[in-house]
Amino acid sequence: MKIIVAIKQVPERDAPVRIASNHKSIDEADLNWAMNEPDAYALEEALQLKEKNGGEVIVLSAGPERVGSTIREALAKGADRAIHVLCDDLGSRDALGAAKLLAEAIKPENPDLVLTGLQSEDLGLGQTGVIVAELLGLPHSTLIVQVEKTDAGLKVKRELEEGWFQHIELPLPAVLTIQSGGNKLRYATLMGIKRAKMKEVRAVSAADLGPAGAPVLTLENISLPSKQKSTQILPGNAKEAAAALVEKLKFEARVL
Amino acid sequence: MCASLPTLAEPNHFSLLERFLFLALAAASAYGFWRRFGPIFNKILHSKKDPGFSLAPIGRRVGDFVWEVVLQARVISQRPLAGIAHALVFWAFCAFALVTLNHCAAALGLGFLSPEGWAGQFYFYFAAIFAVACAIGILGLFIRRFVIRPKWLGKTSPESGVIAMLIFALMATYLAAFYVPGSGFAGQALWWAHTLVLLAFLPLIPHTKHLHLLLSPFTIFLSRGSFSNIPPLSGDEDFGLVTGRDLTQIVSLQAYSCVECGRCTEHCPANNTGKELNPKEIVLGVRAYLNDLGPQSEQPLLGKYNSQKAAFECTTCGACEFQCPVGIEHLPILVGLRRGAVNTGEWEDSHGAKLFLALERGSNALGLPATERDKFIEKNALPIYDGTQEYCLWLGCMGAYDPRGREIVVSLVQVMRHLGVTFGVLRKEKCTGDPVRRLGNDLLFQQLAESNLEALAQSKTKKILSICPHCVRTIQEDWKEFGTPPEVEHHSEFLARHLPELNRVSGHDLSHAENTEKSVGALAPAAPTKEKIVFHDPCYLGRYRNVYDQPRDVVASAGELVEAPRHRERSFCCGAGGGLAFLGEETGERVSHVRAAELVATGATTVAAACPFCNTMFRDALAAQGNNAPQLVDIAQLAARNLPRESN
Repeated sequence: MKIIVAIKQVPERDAPVRIASNHKSIDEADLNWAMNEPDAYALEEALQLKEKNGGEVIVLSAGPERVGSTIREALAKGADRAIHVLCDDLGSRDALGAAKLLAEAIKPENPDLVLTGLQSEDLGLGQTGVIVAELLGLPHSTLIVQVEKTDAGLKVKRELEEGWFQHIELPLPAVLTIQSGGNKLRYATLMGIKRAKMKEVRAVSAADLGPAGAPVLTLENISLPSKQKSTQILPGNAKEAAAALVEKLKFEARVL
Repeated sequence: MCASLPTLAEPNHFSLLERFLFLALAAASAYGFWRRFGPIFNKILHSKKDPGFSLAPIGRRVGDFVWEVVLQARVISQRPLAGIAHALVFWAFCAFALVTLNHCAAALGLGFLSPEGWAGQFYFYFAAIFAVACAIGILGLFIRRFVIRPKWLGKTSPESGVIAMLIFALMATYLAAFYVPGSGFAGQALWWAHTLVLLAFLPLIPHTKHLHLLLSPFTIFLSRGSFSNIPPLSGDEDFGLVTGRDLTQIVSLQAYSCVECGRCTEHCPANNTGKELNPKEIVLGVRAYLNDLGPQSEQPLLGKYNSQKAAFECTTCGACEFQCPVGIEHLPILVGLRRGAVNTGEWEDSHGAKLFLALERGSNALGLPATERDKFIEKNALPIYDGTQEYCLWLGCMGAYDPRGREIVVSLVQVMRHLGVTFGVLRKEKCTGDPVRRLGNDLLFQQLAESNLEALAQSKTKKILSICPHCVRTIQEDWKEFGTPPEVEHHSEFLARHLPELNRVSGHDLSHAENTEKSVGALAPAAPTKEKIVFHDPCYLGRYRNVYDQPRDVVASAGELVEAPRHRERSFCCGAGGGLAFLGEETGERVSHVRAAELVATGATTVAAACPFCNTMFRDALAAQGNNAPQLVDIAQLAARNLPRESN
């Protein structure tokens, strides 16, 4: 089975996020970068499928030079080769723009399966994987926590709300977006890093994959969430205060 | 010499037949010896060269050799009775070198020591004293091994009985020769008896653990030179001890030097609490591998010959390495086996993977967001280190994120502020890499060490102070592979140095403070109400750093110091080291519970620790001791508690 895993490099979780002066992106000066966590789970799923069924795992990532470190990490963990779509303007592309790049890079490989995280930790749009499926004309399923290869195709387990799961079957080739936590991630090893140096990383420039096109969505402004502490002391005796509390929990906090 | 003393019968007339017989037997004996020893010698020689090994400084090596081999100091200090018996045998062997050489040369008419001559007479008596001592020593060791049978010796082999009898026979035949006429049948017969025993002994040496008498002087001389010295990896294909090809000459030499005395196992916290790990068997496992497969084999070291599970039960407390009488360095072997398993991804452990991922993606071993550290710094108004302050206060994972660890830091900060010592903390700090270093994850360790070294260089740090012996050790020794770490000190050393000032202000009388500086043991209890405090030596402060007195000084100035049965160099681990604090449930008893019970049994009302990992282990273990469990403090808290309030 030939599996492509689309991976995004995002700011490290502890990164000090500062808004850039244009108010449309974040200041990248002091940032450390890491593999998007749901993508790490997508990679893990791909590696386990390969270990069970044989085949090849190809890592695909779009972004500037710095993305190379995340690609090497994926190769170190066991991916066989990589495609790096070089593009410096990923931040100004919308989900459709990013998906177009990925889909164009995927097409010539004719994979059996495309995996990606269900969403990115930085923008959290949750659309890229689904749009890639649409652009490739492939069936897809989202929020996957378990994948099993069958003779007919795949059996997958989706996470729904409130502890419910959905089990579905779908044919190959297909696109799946993977939820975090379905598997246990493997750690990077020294041997993996050394072996990764010898693996192929094919660089493709974004321009070669077609014109960027005008974004469907444009970003107007971003801001840091403001912290608000609003402690209210409810007056009255215990009975009145309790009644007022229930009222507020029901209609203001909407947790009851 | 006094004429009334008997003279040694040393025959000097041998017939041609006798000479021929002697030469033939000597050749057979030498052949028997080399047939077994040759392959061992070749296996050691053809093992991999040790990366990073250097003979310099030679002075230290000579010093160690004199202390440990010639004077037998380690053998004696760690097991006095058996050690002295062993030393008597060893010294006798040395004294006998000349006697034996002369004994053999005599058969060929080349004897150089005459029993009639002044020098010969002197030397034969000199050797006779040693012969008596040796006979007593070997008898004692024989009784110990076959009658008393300490359990750490393991299964007693019949060969050691045979060897003991041969040694005894050598001494008996030598001494008997003083009581027979100078020439004649009896003298000749004794000469032959002595010779035959000697020639039988030689080929037995490489067949048994007595090989140590040939190898261990070299093992001790060629040691890596410092405690738990983890060698650097060499080249792109070195991942630690994976197969026979990774066994270095030093490891092979050490494996063949093991005398199977079991001291390592006797002191091993894992083995003493019912776990599979047995440090002696680890060494013997490597030896068995070399015997069966040799140093060129591609077979894995972990599996048939050594167990991966056992290798990962080690707390790296170093009790084994510390007291090994033949210079075996267990920690580089154990950590080496772990490196082999982790660097190749063979080790699968959900807790271990969680720790590694936490440090791949984040900054600390506890897996908490770095903002938690920022909040702690802000809340306690800790200044940021800017190169002008005296100390860079290294918080470490425990000091920055663990509630108990934070309390220790706050106490130390209180003391420093009181003393007017300037300090600052780094804006960003990552785990020193101690747990991943000990667990054998070289990739992560290198990343953490390099990132920290860079941050420290940028901040122009000259001196680091830390509450954690693990941080101190890792920064000072293990980081050296990747750069030059700043000077680093544990807070016990800092506190002990400032004790006179602290005691003066907290109302202690000065003479008392001076007392504590000189000697802890001699400290007279000043007040009848003094609190009894038992101090637990952290492995990474004691055995790893050789700091024993400073924390005791701090304790003694706060109360009455009491000692646990196992203390100082013999301290028993809390169970946290070697990354084990982050791994799952232990099999058997918990190391921390065994140690806590020992501390409680001293009758102390307070347990003083000097390591945040020991602290966290004992917090739970003491709680399990019931309601009367002593309170648990760090020495920094002892130092801070009598300070005037305004310095808070």
